[in-house]
Amino acid sequence: MSATALRQHAEQLFAEELEELSKQDELKKPANWKLSPQSVVKYLVGGKLKNGFEVSPKYIGNKRLMEIAVATLTTDRALLLYGLPGTAKSWVSEHLSAAISGNSAMIVQGTAGTGEEAIRYGWNYARLLAEGPSEKALVETPVMRAMKEGTIVRIEELTRIGADVQDSLITILSEKTLPIPELNTEVQAVKGFNVIATANNRDKGVNDLSSALKRRFNTVILPVPDSMEEEIDIVKRRVESFEKVMELPAEPPALQEIRRIVTIFRELRNGVTLDGKTKLKVPSGTLSTAEAISVVNNGLSMAAYFGDGQLKANDLAAGIIGAVVKDPVQDKIVWQEYLETVVKPREDWKDVYRACRELL
Amino acid sequence: MSTHILGIRHHGPGSARNVKNFLEEIKPDIVLVEGPPEADEILQWAVHNELKPPVAILCYQPDDPKQACFYPFAEFSPEWQAILYAKQHNIHVRFMDLPIANQFALEKENKKQVDENADSDSVEPKKSTDTNEAHTDVITDKEENIVQSIKRNPIAYLADAAGYDDAEKWWEHMFEYRNNNEQVFDAVAEAMQTLRSHLPQEDNKMEVLREAHMRKTIRQAEKEMFQNIAVICGAWHAPVLKEMPKQKEDNDLLKGLPKEKVACTWVPWTYGRLGSWSGYGAGIHSPGWYEHTWQYANDDGTRWMAKVAALFRKNKMDTSVAHVIESVRLADSLAALRNLSKAGLEELNEATLSVLCNGENILLNLVHDELMVSNKIGEVPTDIPKPPLQVDIEKLQKRLRLPATADFKDYTLDLRKEGDLERSVFLHRLKLLNIGWGANTNVSGKGTFKEQWRLQWDPNFSIEIIEKGAWGNTVEEAAAQFVIHYAKENNSLQEVCILLQQSIPAELSRAIDSLISQVNNLAAASADTIQLMEVIPDLVSVSRYGNVRKTDAALVTGIIDSMITRICVSLPAACVGIDEDAAQHLVNLLFKMNDSVSVLQQDDISKLWQETLLVIAKNNNAAPAVAGYATRLLSDGKILTGDDLVQAFYYSMSVANAPGMAAAWLEGFLKGSGTLLLLDEGLWNVVNNWVAYLREEEFIQVLPLLRRTFARYSNSERKKLGEKVVSGKSSSAGIVVSSTLAVERAKQGIPVMMQLFGYGANNK
Repeated sequence: MSATALRQHAEQLFAEELEELSKQDELKKPANWKLSPQSVVKYLVGGKLKNGFEVSPKYIGNKRLMEIAVATLTTDRALLLYGLPGTAKSWVSEHLSAAISGNSAMIVQGTAGTGEEAIRYGWNYARLLAEGPSEKALVETPVMRAMKEGTIVRIEELTRIGADVQDSLITILSEKTLPIPELNTEVQAVKGFNVIATANNRDKGVNDLSSALKRRFNTVILPVPDSMEEEIDIVKRRVESFEKVMELPAEPPALQEIRRIVTIFRELRNGVTLDGKTKLKVPSGTLSTAEAISVVNNGLSMAAYFGDGQLKANDLAAGIIGAVVKDPVQDKIVWQEYLETVVKPREDWKDVYRACRELL
Repeated sequence: MSTHILGIRHHGPGSARNVKNFLEEIKPDIVLVEGPPEADEILQWAVHNELKPPVAILCYQPDDPKQACFYPFAEFSPEWQAILYAKQHNIHVRFMDLPIANQFALEKENKKQVDENADSDSVEPKKSTDTNEAHTDVITDKEENIVQSIKRNPIAYLADAAGYDDAEKWWEHMFEYRNNNEQVFDAVAEAMQTLRSHLPQEDNKMEVLREAHMRKTIRQAEKEMFQNIAVICGAWHAPVLKEMPKQKEDNDLLKGLPKEKVACTWVPWTYGRLGSWSGYGAGIHSPGWYEHTWQYANDDGTRWMAKVAALFRKNKMDTSVAHVIESVRLADSLAALRNLSKAGLEELNEATLSVLCNGENILLNLVHDELMVSNKIGEVPTDIPKPPLQVDIEKLQKRLRLPATADFKDYTLDLRKEGDLERSVFLHRLKLLNIGWGANTNVSGKGTFKEQWRLQWDPNFSIEIIEKGAWGNTVEEAAAQFVIHYAKENNSLQEVCILLQQSIPAELSRAIDSLISQVNNLAAASADTIQLMEVIPDLVSVSRYGNVRKTDAALVTGIIDSMITRICVSLPAACVGIDEDAAQHLVNLLFKMNDSVSVLQQDDISKLWQETLLVIAKNNNAAPAVAGYATRLLSDGKILTGDDLVQAFYYSMSVANAPGMAAAWLEGFLKGSGTLLLLDEGLWNVVNNWVAYLREEEFIQVLPLLRRTFARYSNSERKKLGEKVVSGKSSSAGIVVSSTLAVERAKQGIPVMMQLFGYGANNK
């Protein structure tokens, strides 16, 4: 079954690491946690275990942020991961729940249409009509299941959910209980239950959290990568893992290509060239690391199926333009300007320039 | 007899607590503290109730005050606690470091050596600069220096062994935050002993000498039959003070060291200065936090978070008790996660960030500035022996109610008020003395009677004050002497004029006299007309400023007169044979000069000036732009009008003149006056008629020139000029008031008006 799954859950993909960590774990575990907080942090940031087993880093960046996140979950406060799109919020949340509960599948995707029944509980109407309100007619949500089982539940894009629906979380988070007035009963959360929500601060038309709800969350802002090297590292690791999953025949991407993409993204994101000398216009897109990763992946597929198997500027050009030019009028000007003033004069970037030029 | 060596970290609140407890327990009869022996005498002031930390002992060389160093103390400094203990219990306390007298002298030698060895790339100079750094900086921070730079590694070894990635943090959690302090000094000494014996020794001559002197002081105390000696020193030195080598070795080392004369005093210090970012390279990052841990040793973070919450509330951010509870809990679990027994500042900050600030770093800056650093300034009693200049400054500060604060404070002074004028004079004098306490900013709104100042005290001014003390015992005297001296050294007209300009608001009449005579001499000797012209506008503004300030403007006006006379004599010659850039510069100067002359409002000068302009305008060889502009100025001043002006214009714009010359002339003539051309009918007529008078081929020839001139005007100006040309003269209403009054009808209203004013009744 899972061998054919397009994308495996974190706890499946890194089953070996989790297993090894749990074997080596001698520290105290909070109730219903699969690992001790220290081991969870180690799982996220990577490192060597006592027996020499190498744990790969999942989050590349400030270890302290991961410590705050894990420490938050040990208290009964919920965790809100906040940041620009593509700063590994969902990634971190998935791995946190995989490491803590061994299950990252308890997930509610927040959208403008997410209703209360997706967070609290719904009804099986056929049964409801036939039998009247009963436990059996109840449709459990991931939140309810997580409360019963004492695991982590993830809520993606919390701020996209309508404010009234968001607030239904307040009771769950403060009283740790989910009342079901129709049955005159309630579901009390078992120890180990907690919520990890993600939200991004770039979107328009989001619903800010009410201060009552905000107060139930500890916030960790995930930043864009600090340095060029860090970003290249992230892109490289993620692309390599993608190759494994997709079984791409293309040769592993040359570091140089990744470096160029990361350079383009960083320069446009920061509005200044790396040497700090030239000011640039900033396009409307976020140009996150995640997008850089997908551009490289995209390029790899292009190279594998349409090119000669080697990642070249031609294979990347379409992806880069797609990521940069989100607004067909303004961003195009920004991109053209960048192309003519920054890319063109760079001696060893001629191929990029030509490839991008052709597509415009 | 017993000797206790207490190894501490400077400014460590935990160390301070340990020292205090330890001293209370062993009840020593003498306390020896790492510090300059020269300051022994002023230690009596430590218990003075007007002396409030943070303060520093300032040691300086009276004959060369730049050579100075500070020993800062906060309330939570172990040394401070030791001194307090000794003074409160009436026992002896002595400093035991190598005398500053020797240190200064050695440094000087080192420096000399460095200079000598500058070419040869030997290892020696490097080392001596190292020691220089360590010693010219805050001496008590030397330990931090040691911990952070050279000996950072040793402590890092220990931290590494304990599984910490940050040596500083390890030390804090190991020694500063702990409450149980049994045998902590033994542990420190042992740890340092191990480090010193296992690590390759840096051959630091100064350190060896210092330690030798410390031992010497201990021996001396032993010799004096003290029974119970407590020694407070940086942890690094602890082991070598425990195991005494032979007395003779130390004495040999210390024999015949060079010496300098040194004086000491107390100066107020600030927490900001204790922090490391204010230029001292080494120090502690969060004095406010240290003070907190000193005051509330048992705080588990609750009290700190309550302070943070209070601060947030003060800044209009809703912060509930629940927030505080949650952040303390988060800090605790972070500490547990990191295997720490107690939440430190980092954990508390991270909890604040996550719970109170919603992850936003900006709000945390508030905590940083207000609580972690907490800009606190110490106080020093007024009767401490201080340099006279310092006393005078403090007296003035008090009288003028301008307290020295660590935070900046803004003042707007109204110079028409007696008190404000005095304040302004005082601040201007300090500024002349290079004591940058106040920064003068521009006031919005015009008028010369207002000044805006921003004051922020920096403990470093103490050095400046001592240094400037050489010039006089009062601010006024010192400023005057300093200005005169400085002016003599910088014998350039411009510099002296700037000084003069600055001295006038500082009301240094003696200095002003001297400066004026110097300006006079320099001006007489100066062959450079341009230079003279450059300073005139400033001087004129000085003379105008004098009126508000009640200074004698006549003095300045006198030299202005003589300078303008000189300028007028040599200016025509200066306009000949110069290139275009110089001509442009000269045009600008002419503009300013003309302004200044009109500000002066003196008939003879104005006349002289106009005559000079006339000479320039008529001179065929003068740079055309200058000549053109001079003509314009004359026209503005109604000296050259009517036919004369027309003649001058036509003459200069004749076809016979080289096109470039004519263009430059026109440019000078019409300088910046697009609007003027629109409004001044006379000017307009001259130009307009001239264009109309040109024949077609001539017109085509000069067209490029005209384009060049008019291209500089703004779009709307050009458009209006065009409109004016199209509509002809009639549209240009100018200043003429057209009388379209219907006189007869107006007359009819007069009786009614008279009645309204109350005249009508009388008349009838």
